[in-house]
Amino acid sequence: MSGAGELSMALLDFEIALGNLVRARSTVPLSALHLDAAEISCLESLKTSAGFEFTVGVQRSWCVGRATRAGSFSFSVLSKEQRRQLLDEWVEAGGGTSSFFAAESEALLEFVAGRLPHPSHELTACRFEQATLRANQRSVDFQAPDSGILSAAGCAVSRGRYAAMVEFYGEPSEIVQALVKNEALPPISADTTNMLFGPGLDRLCRVASARETELWQRLTETMPLSDILGEGYHRDDLSPLLREGVVECSASGYRHLS
Amino acid sequence: MGIGFPYIAELPAELYRSGLMDFVEVTPEAVCRQRAKGNGVAIEIVPEQMDRARETCAALPMVVHGVELSIGSAHGWNPAYIEMLDRFQTLWPFAWHSEHLGFQTIPGENGAVLEVGVPLPVPPTKEAAAMIGSRAATICSRYGVPFLLENPAYYIADLPSDDEIGDDIGLMKAIMDCSPCRLLLDLHNIYCNAMNHGIDPFAAIDRAPLDRVVEIHVAGGASRDGFWMDGHNSRVPEPVWELLEYTLARAPGVAGVLFEMLDDFAVDLGARAIGEELQRAREIWCRARVN
Repeated sequence: MSGAGELSMALLDFEIALGNLVRARSTVPLSALHLDAAEISCLESLKTSAGFEFTVGVQRSWCVGRATRAGSFSFSVLSKEQRRQLLDEWVEAGGGTSSFFAAESEALLEFVAGRLPHPSHELTACRFEQATLRANQRSVDFQAPDSGILSAAGCAVSRGRYAAMVEFYGEPSEIVQALVKNEALPPISADTTNMLFGPGLDRLCRVASARETELWQRLTETMPLSDILGEGYHRDDLSPLLREGVVECSASGYRHLS
Repeated sequence: MGIGFPYIAELPAELYRSGLMDFVEVTPEAVCRQRAKGNGVAIEIVPEQMDRARETCAALPMVVHGVELSIGSAHGWNPAYIEMLDRFQTLWPFAWHSEHLGFQTIPGENGAVLEVGVPLPVPPTKEAAAMIGSRAATICSRYGVPFLLENPAYYIADLPSDDEIGDDIGLMKAIMDCSPCRLLLDLHNIYCNAMNHGIDPFAAIDRAPLDRVVEIHVAGGASRDGFWMDGHNSRVPEPVWELLEYTLARAPGVAGVLFEMLDDFAVDLGARAIGEELQRAREIWCRARVN
């Protein structure tokens, strides 16, 4: 290639360099991109051009737009200043580029949740939105697995990939209603309620029992079914959770019937 | 076909049955959702949304205008888009389909694909022309209907180039020279580039492969930070109407002219103003057909 910068690099190298520069808003040192001196010089001159700055501005506004849509409920319950700060931080960290809504939402809401006070109704709103989107994503074609797997040798149990548990610091319906209507929120209560979310659940969620809450908290990683049964749980405890997509099971050599 | 308009679910269905348009352009993403599939993404058609679009558009001929292929990505195009389009064609056959000439993904670490977040222009080089020409030929034979590439609006001037290719128009010409693909000539993009880089839009049109133009887009934009932006967020500026008149007199194979508009802005603009823009396009179209 020649032209403005007398560039000789291959198309792939150029695209990687330009794409990274736009994504990282010029903060990536070009020396980190394995280019020779002439190529770096060409890109340095592109980088300082008004057109590049404008392109970065367009990219940034598109990213903010995507992120705003991806976390619309969570952002709606935050102050304007909080919202602006979180969006800025997210986009500065490279967020908002994905055209894949579900992936953008999942990552954004995880990021936002990590920056909200615990406990707070705002954190609950964020986790509620994340859990709803996650369960909804799988709900259209979710088929309840065959619970026969719970009798299979070597069965292992994990949290469902499209499931979640969300802690409400008070009565869930009151909190959700206040959040949706932007009304005054009730005080944070020590009397919490946990809601389970899964793609096989009617309306995607329901209140979790104390026993289900314990089990969910126990399943921070995949566990052999035998260990779970050894802790006093029964197959009957797991069977409904499996049908609801709240937990998933795997067993080598086992074939699901549905 | 005549005068066209994009399918926008939020607009009243009556607009699509009003006789103001002769064909409709569907962006598949409007009836699709994306879902994780293995390490990648699957683009799935949502039956309810597809049914609604078909019902709204009724008997209008339909063309597809994609935004997710990333045909200019040197590391590879988006296979999920191709898989979706295969299925789309079996459900709702299209007269032709088009994509933007640009790239929006780059390779990341460990085989990951990174999205840039905005489409970027492909440098006008022989390597780019050969790669995109080959991909365009593959697409043409895969779907058996014309495949069109749209000339982009770009804001970065002086992209590195090969002398034999020159600029974005030269790149488009080189791609057409080595593949059977056709041109979707976006006159608002030509206008943007003219405003932002001081080029003569009429000369740019003269240099384009006008014998390969099948569809023309007209649209509006806005001024921002010293640039004219391809925003699809306003009525068509007067100079773009002039470019349409000029192009139609020189491009014998044009089958359709489409007034392009973003969903939100179309709703804000309203059916009446949209109708006026479509009527203006029709008047120019009819004059050109007579002459």
